[in-house]
Amino acid sequence: YRELHTFELQAPTRLIEWAHGSRVCVAGYGQSGGNEILQLIPPPRLQAKETQGLCPERDFKVECGGFSKHPVYSLKHVPDTSLLVTSGPPDSSIQVWQVSAEDSDVIKSMGTIVTENSTGQPWAKIATISARVPWVLHGSTLDSVQITEVELRKNVYRAASQDSEELSGLAFLDSSTVLLCCARGRLCMADVRQPQHPTQAVPVPAVPHGERWCMGTLCAAQGSGMGSQPIARLSSRGFIILTDLRKASEPLALAQARVPSPGSGAEFLCVSWAPALQGCLAISGFDGTVHVYDTQRWDSSGREAEPTFVHKGHVLGGAGGSGDPPLVTAHTWHLQKPRTVLSAASDGSLHVWDWVQP
Amino acid sequence: FTACSSCPGAGQDVGRSCILVSIAGKNVMLDCGMHMGYNDDRRFPDFSYITQNGRLTDFLDCVIISHFHLDHCGALPYFSEMVGYDGPIYMTHPTKAICPILLEDYRKITVDKKGETNFFTSQMIKDCMKKVVAVHLHQTVQVDEELEIKAYYAGHVLGAAMFQIKVGCESVVYTGDYNMTPDRHLGAAWIDKCRPDLLISESTYATTIRDSKRCRERDFLKKVHETVERGGKVLIPVFALGRAQELCILLETFWERMNLKAPIYFSTGLTEKANHYYKLFITWTNQKIRKTFVQRNMFEFKHIKAFDRAFADNPGPMVVFATPGMLHAGQSLQIFRKWAGNEKNMVIMPGYCVQGTVGHKILSGQRKLEMEGRQILEVKMQVEYMSFSAHADAKGIMQLIRQAEPRNVLLVHGEAKKMEFLKQKIEQEFHVNCYMPANGETTTIFTNPCIPVDISLGLLKREAAIGPVPDAKKPKLMHGTLLMKDNSFRLVSPEQALKELGLAEHQLRFTCRVHIQDPRKEHETVLRVYNHLKGVLKDYSVQHLPDGSITVESILIQATAHSEDQGTKVLLVSWTYQDEELGSYLTSLLKKGLPQSTA
Repeated sequence: YRELHTFELQAPTRLIEWAHGSRVCVAGYGQSGGNEILQLIPPPRLQAKETQGLCPERDFKVECGGFSKHPVYSLKHVPDTSLLVTSGPPDSSIQVWQVSAEDSDVIKSMGTIVTENSTGQPWAKIATISARVPWVLHGSTLDSVQITEVELRKNVYRAASQDSEELSGLAFLDSSTVLLCCARGRLCMADVRQPQHPTQAVPVPAVPHGERWCMGTLCAAQGSGMGSQPIARLSSRGFIILTDLRKASEPLALAQARVPSPGSGAEFLCVSWAPALQGCLAISGFDGTVHVYDTQRWDSSGREAEPTFVHKGHVLGGAGGSGDPPLVTAHTWHLQKPRTVLSAASDGSLHVWDWVQP
Repeated sequence: FTACSSCPGAGQDVGRSCILVSIAGKNVMLDCGMHMGYNDDRRFPDFSYITQNGRLTDFLDCVIISHFHLDHCGALPYFSEMVGYDGPIYMTHPTKAICPILLEDYRKITVDKKGETNFFTSQMIKDCMKKVVAVHLHQTVQVDEELEIKAYYAGHVLGAAMFQIKVGCESVVYTGDYNMTPDRHLGAAWIDKCRPDLLISESTYATTIRDSKRCRERDFLKKVHETVERGGKVLIPVFALGRAQELCILLETFWERMNLKAPIYFSTGLTEKANHYYKLFITWTNQKIRKTFVQRNMFEFKHIKAFDRAFADNPGPMVVFATPGMLHAGQSLQIFRKWAGNEKNMVIMPGYCVQGTVGHKILSGQRKLEMEGRQILEVKMQVEYMSFSAHADAKGIMQLIRQAEPRNVLLVHGEAKKMEFLKQKIEQEFHVNCYMPANGETTTIFTNPCIPVDISLGLLKREAAIGPVPDAKKPKLMHGTLLMKDNSFRLVSPEQALKELGLAEHQLRFTCRVHIQDPRKEHETVLRVYNHLKGVLKDYSVQHLPDGSITVESILIQATAHSEDQGTKVLLVSWTYQDEELGSYLTSLLKKGLPQSTA
């Protein structure tokens, strides 16, 4: 490691999201209520370009917090506003929160956006875009995908689909195109300017059955247009498929990650691209480790890939012997520092690490 | 009730603690700190807040100091000798031993180095310490007949304590600075389930999520290692106690593991002082240190040797621990001057430095220092800061509240920060009121004293048999007599109370005359009354007795002729006090007259 910082949160989180002003948000997902949403200020050390010495400011500070009765599975900051949206069981509705850090350190609940037939549905996946409009893309199944203008609570778009297949993720490719990833691996796209047109399946080759899939894309703001960044899909068996949307019928690259066979299910599967390192992605959710891969040398053979780096901190640093080994629940990349990753695990640990390039 | 007034400090992580508590008529001052950010009178708390006519000794029952950090005891000599207070000052034994050293150091820096005039003298420090009464952990100390205090282990630094202040059945716990996670040389704070009416806790670090100790240590070792590897020298200025031992143990283990050869030195003055204090206060450190101390002398490390002044000039890498901690004088400053010019060297400051010291200057980024004789010292060596001091974070505060179970919580914090989130968190989790007064603000808290009352078994059985089945969730109304004797309260049945007190029971009986127009004979009137009442009072037991009287439950009605007017009958309605309600109801009923119809 070049840098390693380990922190302990009061309650484990399964999300790490960046918010306005380099803030980091985490939230509890306990079933018995009393979950906290925390907006943290990262230590100045992590914000600086150059790593300074043993500077005293190595701690996170809780800037503000809120209380949620329900577990929080997903959280997104709505760019250019002081709003946050969250989602989680027991249904597919999304909650809106207001952060006004200057006046008060409490994140206030601003109500719920209830979606039609939301009871009994799996929890909604959320995506936002830094465009001038405060849009939130959300939905739990293909036929419940919609965009809500979150300040006016107005519905802006509703997907025309009859398919009730469960989603594992969704994203804005740009302000008029959305990409949807089904839990069974299918990819669909839709043009939000033409709601009457059904969502189009992206012509990717079919994936093996029985696995659960999730996707990773680079934020629409970072990427220079829809086609430039490949989409990564990760399966619960550790198979990774890279797809270029401009030429979707053939995979760009395939690889098999060396991960333990799915034990506790695919609850925390996560794959993400590094914003500042070309072709670099990270995966987690199989055990207590985070793998980093350089995909530039991958081909379409689907061979086992060698990770550039494996972060084992959550396993080694744990309480040791008391119950199940910790499982990494989420990871995310630092937006500016190229090799810095933040990862969280089921034991409440939060790590920030930066590896030495071999 | 208790009232509280706080004067917390402002700015960064340095403040000044000084809290006044009024509890059941007693006045206690908690800590008497100096604000090290200011150079003028703002550094002292404003004692005119306390009492208008200035006689502090009369007004205050005692002063309690939680630990030796200057932001908790720095203004004590000023307070006791310059403002004037002659009452008792309580603190733990280690605090009593270490306070004067730090106060004297601080005085020297402020007066000698900075030329301040309105400051306490060395004699004042001595005189102040004469007023100190040292206490042991968990020892109940009677300040006077009603006021008692008890110290609990607080972690944080050697000798730091949390204090419980009790008057009668009201109590307050003040935490001072504390830490809920043990470190290498101190245990974690601990308190029993004393259920104080109020818990006063510091909350400056409540919003901090600290980087783990392991990572800090890892970085520290990395820095030391890198410096030594390139042939540089590392200077670590320390105070005699506390962190120095931790760092020594850390380095010793690392040197052993990495098989390093560079020498590590510990200045002898430090060794003697530290050994001396550790011998005195061994019970204040944690298990590990105690074991180490018992097995060998504190500073007989394999890789750490005693320092000699001449070694500073030796070529090659080395690590040196030297006093004093803020580089303001003595050996550490001497070594610093020798090594400052070489960029291969490093100085690691392990704690906060007071303004005016070289330590503070270099941490602020100054690289050209003016020494005595107008000599300029250019600092090319690397300057690092590493804070090991531990405070309770939000999790720690919740833990302490869980341990003590206070009825109210008051948080004292460094800045006028908005802490609404923590306040709500505490209120939601523990269902207690949480107060966060600002500097100079008074908070009043009302207490509900619990008065235990014994209830006699007979009364309990009797009352439990009446009415609905006792339900844990609903209060049940009981009737009894409260006997207060010799500070004990007992609830007994009235009969038993009369017996015990040797009193005779008096029966109260009311008799009321109701006039009824009825020319017939008395016994016919009685019959009419009887039938009337029987018809109206269907749920009651109405009886016509052979002797001509009527009873309604236990109420007696008799009829006689009016002495002067044969046409009027007089009904005597008589009842005991217990039947007052029914009795007055009957009377008003009869006053309305009888129906015309005959029996």
